[in-house]
Amino acid sequence: MSNRLLDRQVGLLEFLTSGAAIFDDLDGASLDPALVGIDCGLLRLEARFSFQKRMAKVAAVFPRTFELLDGHSGAIIREFVSSYPPRDIGRLENARQFFDFLCGDSRRLPVLPPHLPDVAACELALAQVRANDLTRDTKQREHALQNAIRRAPGVALLRCSYDVRTILEVGAETDPVRREVLLGVASPVGADQPRVFELLKPVFDLLSVMDEWADAAAMVATPKLNELVRDLSVCGLIEVHP
Amino acid sequence: MLSAVGIGYRAAIDDWTRRNLSSFELLEITIDHCMGGHPARFNIFDFVDRIPLTAHGIGLSIGTDVPLDLRYLDEVAAIVDRLKAPAYSEHLAFTRTPGRDLANLLPLPQTEAIAESIIEKVRIVQSRIGVPFLLENITYLFTWPDSNLSDAEFLNLICRETGAGLLLDVENLYLNASNHGFDPYAFLDALPSGLVQEVHMAGGEVVNEKVVDRPLLADSHAYPVPDEAFRILDRVLERHTPSAIVLERDDRLDAVDEILDDVTRIRARVARRQSWRANVESSFGQAGRAA
Repeated sequence: MSNRLLDRQVGLLEFLTSGAAIFDDLDGASLDPALVGIDCGLLRLEARFSFQKRMAKVAAVFPRTFELLDGHSGAIIREFVSSYPPRDIGRLENARQFFDFLCGDSRRLPVLPPHLPDVAACELALAQVRANDLTRDTKQREHALQNAIRRAPGVALLRCSYDVRTILEVGAETDPVRREVLLGVASPVGADQPRVFELLKPVFDLLSVMDEWADAAAMVATPKLNELVRDLSVCGLIEVHP
Repeated sequence: MLSAVGIGYRAAIDDWTRRNLSSFELLEITIDHCMGGHPARFNIFDFVDRIPLTAHGIGLSIGTDVPLDLRYLDEVAAIVDRLKAPAYSEHLAFTRTPGRDLANLLPLPQTEAIAESIIEKVRIVQSRIGVPFLLENITYLFTWPDSNLSDAEFLNLICRETGAGLLLDVENLYLNASNHGFDPYAFLDALPSGLVQEVHMAGGEVVNEKVVDRPLLADSHAYPVPDEAFRILDRVLERHTPSAIVLERDDRLDAVDEILDDVTRIRARVARRQSWRANVESSFGQAGRAA
């Protein structure tokens, strides 16, 4: 194939992922020369279908965040489309792009509910933990030391400015309390879905550094610590290898 | 040989699929769902040796005008092997360009020059994958103005030069014929006998959008297979004996009765054709096979 085809393909995808094509903001003059001769109405329909599929993936990860966006969602989504073209077919990758867009630009945040970044961060973490649960290879544990513990793979640790757990559980109508909250997102033993746990600061800090297997005997020296390890294990926050 | 009838595996109905496994003769596995961090991958390999599996890809983008991703292909080869799949299929399409992925199948300009470049790529795929490679016809909304080969001519040229088989998506053929005003039976008549080695069936929907001046059929994989698609399947079975006929469903997955009904209807079509063939062969001997 000649480079010319790639140029045409690049032009086509730029057009199909553009706000002009998706939201009908098109005037005839802005059509890429590589696309001349293609039915413009059908291109717009293709653009809209692809956009709808992409946003369905994003919305599936951020149900409460979208409730909070409410009146702003139209403008927000238009801006997202313009600044973050799709890079990957996957749901999580598109969700990460949306999160980066939503929370990465402080100019956008004043018009949004102040707790929205925390809600979005928790929803993205829940989706990541859910995906990790399904892909975790239990054989990884075979390489563990005897009597060792570590933070469970895929656990997300979040430092939030609002306690948004009620919003996640009940809905976006509730007003969250503003306070620093340290959260761990993990799948408890036997649970179908991951959960969000509030953590004390020492526990949060400990989990933050438990990337590698460590000798449990060296760490768990008191009955109280034994109990903590048991609780964290039941919550799915740490992994214990007997 | 009877065509095996089954469904495309979807993680969202994993429990239901496992409970109803005896309703199917095979499952089609999306190769890309077995890769890397995709959530479905460990569940999928549970099916090996429990039911025949066939391998279908969505991530090759064979039509993108850049060299094939050989690491991706090697991963495909390993998964095909692990699934014990008898064939690997992909779409004759492109989905991405460097740095941008539409995640939607797009058509290629249908010219001899483009066909030649695809032929080279198909040969590379065949050299790295240990099972027969099948190309699938896609549904498309638009066409490129410089296309000068028909859908059948383009597919036939690539398949003839490479020995690749055709995964015929009957719903895509039906939608394209309806949306672009050509005769789906003429398309089928232009295919050499035996080229169709697997079949996809699905149900789409009518869309009315103001950006186009007419209603169009869209390939939503959300509804029961329409009667017209079954009529096309009947014609397919007259000249081809696909090893697998797969019902694809990606939306309204809770309507599982519709899935089972479609599978039953497909199987009835296959059985009727098989019975007709048996009668012809018993009446006319081997000469009847030509029918």
